[in-house]
Amino acid sequence: MDVNTAALKDAILGQDFLTWLWFRSEKNGWLFRMADGGEVNVYLEQKVSVRGGEGDNVETAVVSGPNAAFAEAREGLKAGKRVDRALLRLEQDGNTWMVQLKADDLSLNALRTPKIETRAAEGEDPDGPILEKLFLVEKGMGFVEELYGQFLAARLGPDWRAELRAFADWLGEKA
Amino acid sequence: MPLMSASGSFTRYKIVGDVPDAVLREPVDILKHHAFQDIDATADERSFGWVSFEDMLDNRFASAPPQKAHYLLFALRLDTRRISPAVFKKHLRVALDAERQAGKEDGRNFVTKDRKTELAEQVKLRLMARSLPIPAVFDVVWNVDTHDVYLNSTNSKVQELFEDLFTLTFELHLERMTPSFLAARILGEARTKELEDIEPSPFAAGA
Repeated sequence: MDVNTAALKDAILGQDFLTWLWFRSEKNGWLFRMADGGEVNVYLEQKVSVRGGEGDNVETAVVSGPNAAFAEAREGLKAGKRVDRALLRLEQDGNTWMVQLKADDLSLNALRTPKIETRAAEGEDPDGPILEKLFLVEKGMGFVEELYGQFLAARLGPDWRAELRAFADWLGEKA
Repeated sequence: MPLMSASGSFTRYKIVGDVPDAVLREPVDILKHHAFQDIDATADERSFGWVSFEDMLDNRFASAPPQKAHYLLFALRLDTRRISPAVFKKHLRVALDAERQAGKEDGRNFVTKDRKTELAEQVKLRLMARSLPIPAVFDVVWNVDTHDVYLNSTNSKVQELFEDLFTLTFELHLERMTPSFLAARILGEARTKELEDIEPSPFAAGA
């Protein structure tokens, strides 16, 4: 894909992904099955931003709160806006990752991995803590990539229209 | 090692094409060609280059090798001299006042536009030489099994600087894993067309 086309499609794919992820995580009871057989809990947390319009008419609404149901952001969705930033909490086997995703580039902002011991104990490999940290960083990135892969399978699959109808029903339920 | 902080921002890249074995065998020799050069003793506005992952003062990679398990770890150091606009404004005033005073004594009571530009340049240079460069370090992680590369920053200026220097150093091209490129990677080249045709989904309307 050439760079210009990619730049045009980035925001579309990123916003479709995050919007779908919000709905799909609630519909799934916040549970996603991974390709390796493991399961990951995915929650949208504290802060979500929705965006609509084009060019000079772009409008963004940022909704935040510790236990937010994001009612205002849902109103935004009803008005045709789509999610452009979300803070995700990912949980697996008692470990927690937090990451803020921006739809336009899917860069991983403020990625917080499970806590590690930053100093190697005596007799341990001095590189141990670094390697453990890298393992956790890559694991967090892997979760995001796999969720994105699941989105793409749905988005480009034959059942996307059915998924959109389910989305509209979900949005209506929360009125 | 900013990477070791509890939370950090990352940009993901994939290396496009094959990586020559020599790059992985002798990364230190290659990194040294574009190692960071100190500008403390100069008036240069900025300097950037590679340093050791473990120590930002080590641009010879003497303290530790970049190879750790199946990773190459190094860091991009960027030093920048900044002059506070208020400081610049004050010193430019002082220089202009002195110029006007000297002009008056010669029977001139104005400073030409060109002369003002020249004075501003001189003031900037003088202040640059007196200010200390501010160092910043961004960790780089290269997984040599997958050829995924992570930059410990999402700042667009740092991303561009890093991409250019990486290509210059290793003669390898990086692809930033934005939604389009990541999707192309996941789906494979054959399905790129589907991505090119994609339009925003009418979520609220329900298909």
